[in-house]
Amino acid sequence: MSPTASTSTVGGGGSAEPSGVKKTSKRPKYSKFTQQELPACKPILTPSWVILTFLVAGVVFIPLGVICLFASQGVVEIVDRYDTDCVPASSRDNKVAYIQSEGDKICNRTITVTKTMKNPVYVYYQLENFYQNHRRYVKSRNDAQLKSPREERDVKTCAPEDNVGGEPIVPCGLVAWSLFNDTYRFSRNSQQLPVNKKGISWKSDRDNKFGKNVFPKNFQAGAPIGGGTLDPKKPLSEQEDLIVWMRTAALPTFRKLYGKIETDLHAGDTITVMLQNNYNTYSFNGEKKLVLSTTSWLGGRNDFLGIAYLTVGSICLFLAVTFAVLYLVKPRQLGDPSYLSWNRSAGG
Amino acid sequence: MKRFVYINDDEASNELCCDNRISNRKYTLWNFLPKNLWEQFSRFMNQYFLLIACLQLWSLITPVNPASTWGPLIFIFAVSASKEAWDDYHRYLSDKKANEKEVWIVKQGIKKHIQAQDIQVGNIVWLRENDEVPCDLVLLGTSDPQGVCYVETAALDGETDLKTRIIPSACVGIDLELLHKMKGVIECPIPDKDIRRFDANMRLFPPFIDNDVCSLTIKNTLLQSCYLRNTEWACGVSVYTGNQTKLGMSRGIAEPKLTAMDAMIDKLTGAIFVFQIVVVMVLGIAGNVWKDTEARKQWYVQYPEEAPWYELLVIPLRFELLCSIMIPISIKVSLDLVKGLYAKFIEWDVEMIDQETGTASYAANTAISEDLGQVEYILTDKTGTLTDNKMIFRRCCIGGIFYGNENGDALKDAQLLNAITSGSTDVIRFLTVMAICNTVIPVQSKAGDIVYKAQSQDEDALVIAAAKLHMVFVGKNANLLDIRFNGLTIRYEVLEILEFTSDRKRMSVVVKDCQSGKIILLSKGADESILPYACAGQQTRTIAEAVDHYAQLGLRTLCLAWRELEEDEYQEWSVKFKEASSVLVDREWRIAEVCQRLEHDLYILGVTAIEDRLQDGVPETIETLRKAGINFWMLTGDKQNTAIQIALSCNFISPEPKGQLLLIDGKTEDDVSRSLERVLLTMRITASEPKDVAFVIDGWALEIALKHHRKDFVDLAILSRTAICCRVTPSQKAQLVEILKSCDYRTLAIGDGGNDVRMIQQADIGVGISGREGLQAARAADYSIGRFRFLKRLILVHGRYSYNRTAFLSQYSFYKSLLICFIQIFFSFISGVSGTSLFNSVSLMAYNVFYTSIPVLVSVIDKDLSEASVMQHPQILFYCQAGRRLLYL
Repeated sequence: MSPTASTSTVGGGGSAEPSGVKKTSKRPKYSKFTQQELPACKPILTPSWVILTFLVAGVVFIPLGVICLFASQGVVEIVDRYDTDCVPASSRDNKVAYIQSEGDKICNRTITVTKTMKNPVYVYYQLENFYQNHRRYVKSRNDAQLKSPREERDVKTCAPEDNVGGEPIVPCGLVAWSLFNDTYRFSRNSQQLPVNKKGISWKSDRDNKFGKNVFPKNFQAGAPIGGGTLDPKKPLSEQEDLIVWMRTAALPTFRKLYGKIETDLHAGDTITVMLQNNYNTYSFNGEKKLVLSTTSWLGGRNDFLGIAYLTVGSICLFLAVTFAVLYLVKPRQLGDPSYLSWNRSAGG
Repeated sequence: MKRFVYINDDEASNELCCDNRISNRKYTLWNFLPKNLWEQFSRFMNQYFLLIACLQLWSLITPVNPASTWGPLIFIFAVSASKEAWDDYHRYLSDKKANEKEVWIVKQGIKKHIQAQDIQVGNIVWLRENDEVPCDLVLLGTSDPQGVCYVETAALDGETDLKTRIIPSACVGIDLELLHKMKGVIECPIPDKDIRRFDANMRLFPPFIDNDVCSLTIKNTLLQSCYLRNTEWACGVSVYTGNQTKLGMSRGIAEPKLTAMDAMIDKLTGAIFVFQIVVVMVLGIAGNVWKDTEARKQWYVQYPEEAPWYELLVIPLRFELLCSIMIPISIKVSLDLVKGLYAKFIEWDVEMIDQETGTASYAANTAISEDLGQVEYILTDKTGTLTDNKMIFRRCCIGGIFYGNENGDALKDAQLLNAITSGSTDVIRFLTVMAICNTVIPVQSKAGDIVYKAQSQDEDALVIAAAKLHMVFVGKNANLLDIRFNGLTIRYEVLEILEFTSDRKRMSVVVKDCQSGKIILLSKGADESILPYACAGQQTRTIAEAVDHYAQLGLRTLCLAWRELEEDEYQEWSVKFKEASSVLVDREWRIAEVCQRLEHDLYILGVTAIEDRLQDGVPETIETLRKAGINFWMLTGDKQNTAIQIALSCNFISPEPKGQLLLIDGKTEDDVSRSLERVLLTMRITASEPKDVAFVIDGWALEIALKHHRKDFVDLAILSRTAICCRVTPSQKAQLVEILKSCDYRTLAIGDGGNDVRMIQQADIGVGISGREGLQAARAADYSIGRFRFLKRLILVHGRYSYNRTAFLSQYSFYKSLLICFIQIFFSFISGVSGTSLFNSVSLMAYNVFYTSIPVLVSVIDKDLSEASVMQHPQILFYCQAGRRLLYL
């Protein structure tokens, strides 16, 4: 019964007016947009187009895959797991007690180079089952404090590694506190191989995220000592090991750059590594590995990209051939309305 | 419950009710914020987002910056709140304008100029020509000596003709001066919204006449928002004021319609919410277990030994927040945006402009365009919707002689013209009935022509035809009618008007020939409501044949009848009629009963046949839409034969042998039941055959079927693709819509007149044709279009595109948020199930807004198929309709 809800509102008033004036203004303007006639292109997937597309994809992808695979294969990588071997046989029953005990835990490892490695040879340490991505861990840091000495006292987010005796820790938080502190020294034929530790972190991190006038304070001064210590005389922007460590890994298995050996290593060379086994991964059964690797234009050794290209390329090629055969054996007219669903089933 | 209004008595009326302040506002300045927020938060999705946003304030559990949720949330709320505020401000302005309008009222015998908002119940309000009526008034006096005035009710019901209003009999002849001092009481019902009914009584206090009770009807009222026309002045006593007027009561915020798509999205949201809870619980338990077994060994995490009481909840809550993006906050904004654009596309469409009148289509409801693409049933009115509603008098049959059969136009039939010049009694009587048995008002225009203001197109056609046949209705002066016939002026006095109601299906007037003093009853109406009352001696067979003959040509027929009354008979009946007119309960029914007593022994003069042409493109439109799998039901107040003829001519049903019409009729419950069962059986048998089976039912049988055999009728409704329901009332139309809706069909109702309003409001989608029967239907409708044939474009082009686009957009919204959420979930398995977010706040927000939400809005202008191919293969709409049943959104 009601003559619409909005009778007496603006709309109602408008339509009650004599219609003569309104008519012309109500008339919509013509434009391609208002009439939904904007130019558009809609490719029709004809058999020849589909076959051609698959063919081109296959032809492009397979060589790409082969190239990627070659590049990856060209990378020489030596991995040496040392966490168990570096614990003396007598302490193997209680590795945690061993690692937490005082004293130097020096360990010598020998690595044989199987293939010539062109310089620079990158030295990585690899940790497994180490959750740098744990929420409690990633959140426990303060980027402002790392950048500027004025924010020194801003340690709210760093708990539980925030204060020592009321004084703020710089750098605060669990991430810095658990700094990796195994060290490696390399020698070939009793000749020292220098490891360059400059320039192993991101330049943007050094320049923008870690302050040049921020110095470590009260670091590792509290009761449980986590990992490595820092030189209180060097500003944070020069503490490259820390900078590398603080760029937290997304996965529980990760590699971090330790340094670069800037000489070529030849096949058959025997390299002695004198390492200090300080870092505790034993309490959570984490593995520690030392990695020496060269790089190619594609980065480190990783076959995934090559395999992915090869797989997709071969599937495309296979489909192209299948469709071509189908098209030749049993062609059908394109756009035949008798194939429409309502024409196929009688009655609809 | 009754209300007593004391005329001109401030003390007695004061406690009654409110002043005349109109308020359409939803909010005030103070309650806007709480009320608006409350309304917005009554939606589940908003509550959910608020909860998430609040949880994010707890830094222990939030994976991202709280601003990434608060920002969009506040934006969404601000947008809808400011939209509401803007609308409400405009309502306030228009209210203010109406409230502060100056009016003349009489208070304690003195004429005063006050603001409209200060009118009290019982005040006497003075109006001049072309004034708007400020509140509901009972007419007391007019400038016209007979006490008649004219009003235009367009704002109330959309009808543009002038209506006559008359002062109550008790007030006749009161002097202008005395009107100021008038006292009395009006007993009227409590305020309601029925603009066609006002059953009240009035008693004037001495010294005015005796204490006789005088009955009041809607004819004695001036309702708020009407305009006084063609009358110098009028005055009346206010009975309903402010928001209690008929108009004020019928206001109200219409329930927002929810599309099938919206319901589906809500369901999906619910399902995703359940899924999310499951994920959160699983991950929460896994996280707590991992924490206790593994994380304690991870010395670098430093889990404290002592944990607060809520420790167990922390990880599940973190996952809840991490997974909260599963339900995309952007879907509401983007859907609102694109829906607005769909509506605009409909309004902008130049192909949907009625070239004749220049009216464009209008989408009053911007939220339901997708539903257009899912319509399964269209319920259509006939007159004015399928047809032009341009009535032209074509043929007639007077006293068994057919006129106009040869050339198809009785006005040019020489035989008829001869009969008129020779003065055949029957023909002259016939023309007299055509000219005066109606409620038409002739208005003399400035140029001297006579323009007729008629409520119904049929009456208009008859009066114009009569004028062309030299029986010119020249003037109406209160109760006196002037007819000019061949240069002679004949004057009649109207004694009573027995009005047309949809139940009686006929109307009569009792007039007195001023020269001879004879009292005559003139009737016109549908054949079945006139022929049974023919006088005993008359053969009605030829008349019935004529009716059939005309109906088969698709013409609308009316039977005209006549009877001379004896003075005594009239007087006796008149008393009863007055009595019936003054009862407060069941007045309509009582009047009908009394009318019945007069309308008998009629002498049937003949039959008129009026042509109502089909609109352009109607058959093509119906054919295309039927191919698209849409079922049509025709609901008309017209008679069966005419309805069937129109149905045949517009492809609604196919002629034999391709189609079959099944009739459901009967006057008693048993008849209808048997008929219904038979039809149901035939339907079931023929269901497998490729045959167009339709059923036809009339209003009477429908009434019985709905009352006693509702289940059978519902079965029938499901089985039949086509139906014709004739002689149905507006409420039956609405009932039929409801039945189809209850079977879970998407319905679209299309109509043009006031009698279609209820059906239009009831249906999932209401479409109004802005036609000749006023704007009432178009205003109540969600969409208004100029012509029926635009329906094809509205459904197949706009509806289908809207559906596809919304489907794509909502699927995409869910897809993209599930995608990023699954990444987070998988990441949680390699991050110690601790609830770390792989992405930072900025990346997450950028993903949600810049990478995924904004670019995809371009899909709003995407067309999957060209308009031409959709029109060529309308069957493609099946996919949209089926969307409701399949989970393909």
